[in-house]
Amino acid sequence: MKINLRGLQKYAVMFILIILMVLFSFSSPYFLTIRNLTNIITQNTYFIILAIGLSFVMIGGGIDLSVGWQMSLVGVVTAMCMTLYHLPVWLAILIGILLGTLLGFFNGMIVANIKVFPLIVTIATSTVFQGISYIISQARTYRSYPDQFLFIAKGNVLGIPFDVLLTILIVLFASFIYYKTSYGWNVLALGGNEEAARLAGIKTKAMKISVYTVCGFFTAVAALVMIAKANTTNSSFGPGTEFTALTAAIVGGISFMGGEGNMLGLVTGVFILAVLGNGMQLAGWGTYAQYIVKGIILLGAVSFDELQKNARRTRRKPVMPITPLKGDMEK
Amino acid sequence: MRESILSVRNITKTYPGVVALNDVSMTFEKGEIHALLGENGAGKSTLIKVISGAIQPDSGSILFGEKEFTKMSPGSARENGVAVIYQEFSLVEALSVAQNVFLGEKRGLLVDNKDVQKRAAEIFKEMNVSMDPAAQVRKLSPAKKQLVEIAKAISSDARILIMDEPSAPLSASEVETMFEIIGKLKSQGVTIIYISHRIEELFRISDRVTVMRDGRYVDTLITRSTNRKELIDLMVGRELKEYYPRRSNAPGEVVMEVKNLSGLGDENISFSVRKGEILGVAGLVGSGRTELASIIYGAVPKDGGETWIDGKKREIHSPDHALKYGIGLIPEDRKHHGCIMYASVKFNIVLSVFNKTARFFMVDSKAQNKTALYYKEKFNIKTPSLEQKVINLSGGNQQKVILAKTLAANTNILIFDEPTRGIDVGSKQEIYNLMIDLVNQGKSILMISSEMEELLGMSDRLIVLCEGRFMGELPREEFDQRHVIELASGHH
Repeated sequence: MKINLRGLQKYAVMFILIILMVLFSFSSPYFLTIRNLTNIITQNTYFIILAIGLSFVMIGGGIDLSVGWQMSLVGVVTAMCMTLYHLPVWLAILIGILLGTLLGFFNGMIVANIKVFPLIVTIATSTVFQGISYIISQARTYRSYPDQFLFIAKGNVLGIPFDVLLTILIVLFASFIYYKTSYGWNVLALGGNEEAARLAGIKTKAMKISVYTVCGFFTAVAALVMIAKANTTNSSFGPGTEFTALTAAIVGGISFMGGEGNMLGLVTGVFILAVLGNGMQLAGWGTYAQYIVKGIILLGAVSFDELQKNARRTRRKPVMPITPLKGDMEK
Repeated sequence: MRESILSVRNITKTYPGVVALNDVSMTFEKGEIHALLGENGAGKSTLIKVISGAIQPDSGSILFGEKEFTKMSPGSARENGVAVIYQEFSLVEALSVAQNVFLGEKRGLLVDNKDVQKRAAEIFKEMNVSMDPAAQVRKLSPAKKQLVEIAKAISSDARILIMDEPSAPLSASEVETMFEIIGKLKSQGVTIIYISHRIEELFRISDRVTVMRDGRYVDTLITRSTNRKELIDLMVGRELKEYYPRRSNAPGEVVMEVKNLSGLGDENISFSVRKGEILGVAGLVGSGRTELASIIYGAVPKDGGETWIDGKKREIHSPDHALKYGIGLIPEDRKHHGCIMYASVKFNIVLSVFNKTARFFMVDSKAQNKTALYYKEKFNIKTPSLEQKVINLSGGNQQKVILAKTLAANTNILIFDEPTRGIDVGSKQEIYNLMIDLVNQGKSILMISSEMEELLGMSDRLIVLCEGRFMGELPREEFDQRHVIELASGHH
C-alpha cells in the first residue's frame, strides 16, 4: 500500500462536509439559509471546545469517556453557585473551571499511576461523577442565570457572538500549543510512543496527568457555554456529549491511537456531525435515526483509522513516497 | 537430479514505487535444507509470503510438483504442505501447548483435552525435547515457543517448512537443539527453507543456499562448495573491504564507573569505561545485558549499586537524569523504544532536546531544523525530507536517526544495545564507521552485542555476563572466541 491515507483524510473530511451540505440543500430549501447555518455554528460551539479538550488526551494516546459527566457536574455546581448561593458570576465561573480541572487531574492521576486502560478508568470515574452530580444537584433543575453569565451565549463582540469568538480563540490557541510549544510536542511524543518518549527523557507520567487536566479545563469551559445557552441545567445535561466529541475528533483525523491530529480537521469533524444532525432533522428523519447514523459514522471513522495504521504497519520495504508526506508538526 | 517439491517461476511483485520481487525463479528439492540469504529488502520475506499465500504475486506461478498455481491462498498453501514459522510467533498465548499444536486441526465441537495432550506429547517425544503439553504458552521462553511452532508444523504434516530467522531468539545450546530437530525432519523428507542473517549457521546445516539481492534471484550454490566471502560478495554485489574499521586513538581516563550494580536479576556488576573506548558486553540471551543497560540508564529502578561519572557519584533514577549526566541509550528495540515511528525524522532527532532549548514553552523551530539538518548530513541519513516519517526509512537509517537523537542531547557515554540487529550489511558498515568516529572524538561506547564477530572486531575490551553475574573482563590482546563463549556459558 502506498497511498497516503492520512493526507487523503485531511481533504476527505472537508470534501464530505461539502457533499453533505449540497445533499441537504436539495432535501430542504431551509437548510442553506443564513439563519440555519448560523444556528448550526452557534449550537456547536461547546462541542468544539469539548472536542479540543478531548484531543489533548487522544493525541496523547489516551481516551476520556467521563467528559460528559464532568460537564454535568461542573454545570450543576456553577449553576447552583449562581442561583442558590448567589455568588458573583466571576467566582462561580472560577469555581466551575477549577472543579473541571480538578476532575481531569483526578482522571490523570489514576491513569498515570495505575496501569489500566484509560477507557475503563474513565468509564469508572464517569459513574462516580454521575453519582456526585446527582447528590449535589439533588436531582433539581437550576435556571435563570444572571445577565453577566448569559453574555457567554448571548453577547456580541465586534458583531460576533461571544461564544463563537471564544471557540475560535480556543481553536487557534490549541493549534498554537500543538505546533509551537514544547508542551504540544511533548503531547505528540507521548501519544506517538510513550516508552520512546520516556527513554528520550520526557517526563511521560507528568505529561499524562497534564493532558487529562487540560481536558478537564476545556470540558469545564464547554460546560459553562452549554448551560449559558440553555439558561438552565440539571444533572442530565452533559452526558452523551462525550460520544459526539469523540466521533467528531476521530472523523476529523485525531488518531484513536495517539500521536496525530490537527485542529482544523477536528472542527470539520464537529460540523460534519452537526450538519448531518441538522439536515436529517430538516428532512424529517427524527432523532433516533440520527443515533444510528452517528454510530455508523464512528465505526467507519475508527475502521479508517485502523486501516491506515495497518497499511503503514505492514508495509514491508521502505518506500519512497511519490510526494513527500507533510509532517504533522509543521504547518 | 532430485525430486522437485516446490518451484517458483518468474514471480514478480510490485508495490507502488518499489519492485519487491523481480522475475524470481527457483526450485526447492524434496528433503533438502535450502537457505535463503540476502540483505534486508532483498525480497526474502516477500517471497515467503507469496509461497505461503499471504500475498498474491503480480505475475508468475508457483508449482507444487505438477500442480501449478498463479496465486496462492493461505488455505491452499497449507493443503500443499507449506508451514511457515515467522519471527513473531503465531501462537495463542492464553492456550496450552497442546491446544496450540492442534489449533488448525479440523474437528468436532468437543475437544478431548487428554487425547490432544497425549498426541502432543508424542510429537515432542519424537522431536526429543522435553515439554509439558499442558503448560500455558504465555509462560514459555522464546525457544520453547519455537519448538511449539515446529510441533504445530509437524502435526499438520508439513512437507515444506519455512523458517524466518529461527535462531534469532535462541541461545547457542538452543540453536543446537533446533538444528537437531530440523536435521531429523530433513531425514524424514521434509524440505526446509531456512532464512538467516547468520552466515555461519548456513554452513552448519544447509545443503544449498540461494542468494537474493534487490528483489532479484542472484544465484544458488551448493553450500559445501562455497565460502563466506563469496556469499557476502553475492549478497552485497560488491567486495566488502575493511569490515571493522581500525583506529589509532588510545583510550584515556575512566569516565564512568559502576560499582556493585544490581537489579532485574543482575547482581553486583562492577566495571569502568574509559574515554574514547569501546567496551563490549558479551553474553547469551538472558544473561542480563539489556537489563544492565536499562539500570545504568535509569529506565528501571535498581536494587543497589553506584554509578560514578567523571569521578563523581551520580544518582540516576530516570532517563532524563542519565541524559543530564551525558549518558545516552541506543536501544535494541528500535520500533518500540528507539523512536516514534509515525513522527517525522526531524521530530525524532530533536526528541531529547526540544524541551531544553524551548524558551517560555516556545519551541525554537529554527534551532530544531538546524540540529536535524546537521545530523541528516553528518550521518548521511537517506530520507527525501526531514518531514518524512521514520517508519518509511530503512532499518539502518532508523538507527542513524536514533543515534542522532541521542547525540543531539549532548551525550558522551553511549550505550549501544545490539547496534546492528536487523540492519543490512552495507548499513552495518556505516554504523561501525560512525561508532569509530565517535570514539575518535573522545566519546565512550558501551556496546552490547550478540554477534561475536562484531564484539571481537569493534571492542577495545570485553566484559562477559552470564545469568546476571559478571564473569570476567578481557583486554583486546586476549580476545578469543572460544574463551568468551565459555565465560558466557558459565565456565571460568
